[in-house]
Amino acid sequence: MSERKADLAVRLCGVRLKNPIIAASGTFGFGREFDNLYDIGQLGGISVKGLTLEPRCGNPPHRVAETASGMLNAVGLENPGVDAFISEHLPWLLDKGLVVIANIAGSTVDDYCRMAEKLAPTGAHMLEMNISCPNVKSGGVAFGIEPDMVYAVTRAVKQHAGQPLMVKLSPNVADIAQNARAAEAAGADCLSLINTLTGIAVDAKRRRLVLANNVGGLSGPAIKPVALRMVWQVCKAVGISVVGMGGIMTGTDAAEFMLCGAQAVMVGTANFADPMACPRIVSELEAYLVAQKVRKVGEIVGALIEN
Amino acid sequence: MIEEQATVLAAEDIAKDIYRLRLHAPHIVTQGVRPGQFVHVRVPGNTTHLLRRPISVMAARPESGTVELAIQIAGEGTRLLRLVRPNDRLSVLGPLGKPFEPRGAKRIFFVGGGIGAAPIRCAMDAFAGEAEEAIAFFGFRGAEYAYGLENVPCEVRVSTDDGTMGRHTKVTCLLQEAIDEQPPDLILACGPAPMLRTLQNMTLRLRINCQLSLEEHMACGLGACLVCSCKARVRNGTQYHRVCVDGPVFDAREVCLDV
Repeated sequence: MSERKADLAVRLCGVRLKNPIIAASGTFGFGREFDNLYDIGQLGGISVKGLTLEPRCGNPPHRVAETASGMLNAVGLENPGVDAFISEHLPWLLDKGLVVIANIAGSTVDDYCRMAEKLAPTGAHMLEMNISCPNVKSGGVAFGIEPDMVYAVTRAVKQHAGQPLMVKLSPNVADIAQNARAAEAAGADCLSLINTLTGIAVDAKRRRLVLANNVGGLSGPAIKPVALRMVWQVCKAVGISVVGMGGIMTGTDAAEFMLCGAQAVMVGTANFADPMACPRIVSELEAYLVAQKVRKVGEIVGALIEN
Repeated sequence: MIEEQATVLAAEDIAKDIYRLRLHAPHIVTQGVRPGQFVHVRVPGNTTHLLRRPISVMAARPESGTVELAIQIAGEGTRLLRLVRPNDRLSVLGPLGKPFEPRGAKRIFFVGGGIGAAPIRCAMDAFAGEAEEAIAFFGFRGAEYAYGLENVPCEVRVSTDDGTMGRHTKVTCLLQEAIDEQPPDLILACGPAPMLRTLQNMTLRLRINCQLSLEEHMACGLGACLVCSCKARVRNGTQYHRVCVDGPVFDAREVCLDV
């Protein structure tokens, strides 16, 4: 790799990432498919496909619908289970030399705690607690709505976690800043936001909903303004680190989230439009820093000039 | 599999609501594009149409580094793709997916319905010559929707829904008649879901080897995102397979096509 013209390294809860670009959970599998196209070791990190205690087969098709500058998905947490992840995928991922974030989704508080326990002795660098999957009733969404529940599940899991705990917040709530404060009060080390916004797609010709699950999660550039607003609000509300996401397609998009206060960003839907999106965004972010005459990426975090 | 900025050589209408894109994509073609495989094409322009369109290959020509795709206008994205001009660049990812596998079959029937005729034409060109006997069965809505019938490498029997070309019947009826005469060793098929379901029932009942190419909405096309699922029979029940990497070509005994 060529010499970087700007220092892109960041620290997240004491974990060093070589750059702030993390592949977002659910869009990148366990990294193997994209590693056929480029060395995923050049990314800052990966948040793996959402894991559950037992394997899950997911929702029936259709699971995806394109919308204007976005897409709805309702995969339903199809995954091989946390044990298979630890034995079959994690060792390979750790060898790739990027920060590995284990994304976990449970239907009970106990599910989350047991997964955190199983992951504690492994080399996974961080946990991302998904309390906001909109696509399965048991996907933790029940824990992500009310601040009291966010507090309770975060506090319980924190006691079992061997790694820094990131809580992924749902945008489908009354006041996301309040939920962010609840997670922080319960001991979360870091927050990631936003998960998808719930939506539906209608096939007028057939007079039916497109997704078999009826409701899906909206992602892509269509949600970026909402995501930016929420990241900006949450960064003002808490003292812990924030990882921003929602419609990031370019290095400039990534910079916008960081200016609003995100320490790092996740890139999801962009991987579908452009399978080279993550490494491209790393390069574009570097070019942005050079153009801004900034040496270290950390200097732009929260550097928004407020009106 | 590779992502390439392919050069548009031509975009031309070949039937009602169906056009052919000829692309110069030497890096993809060099990798060896096999019948039944597809490429994932980005809709040009801005991010309004975010997801790529998975398109089966109708022809791949290693000598010129070109691929030909037949695309049906199904919505705004495929309408925009029709507007490309020679020398425009298109981001194309491929070749993707599992191809048809003739496995030395001596007597092959090819069955294509509607836009599904495109990968079948590709399979005919590759496999008809090797087989001792090959017959293709094409079903279209009407004569104006028919394509892929020039310079065919084997006998072709056509049916249309409205009787404006070939026999006025379903393509599966044409096929049934031929099977009644003498069944083939293998059937390769692509077409609308009702056609594939009929074919599946027919071939399972008669114990004829049959490979079906399926279609499903896709996102990554690489097997990572798990949105293009299709139900498949496994040892102890069913599970979801990924159409993009476990297919799009499946053994008819393997997949569940129930609505």
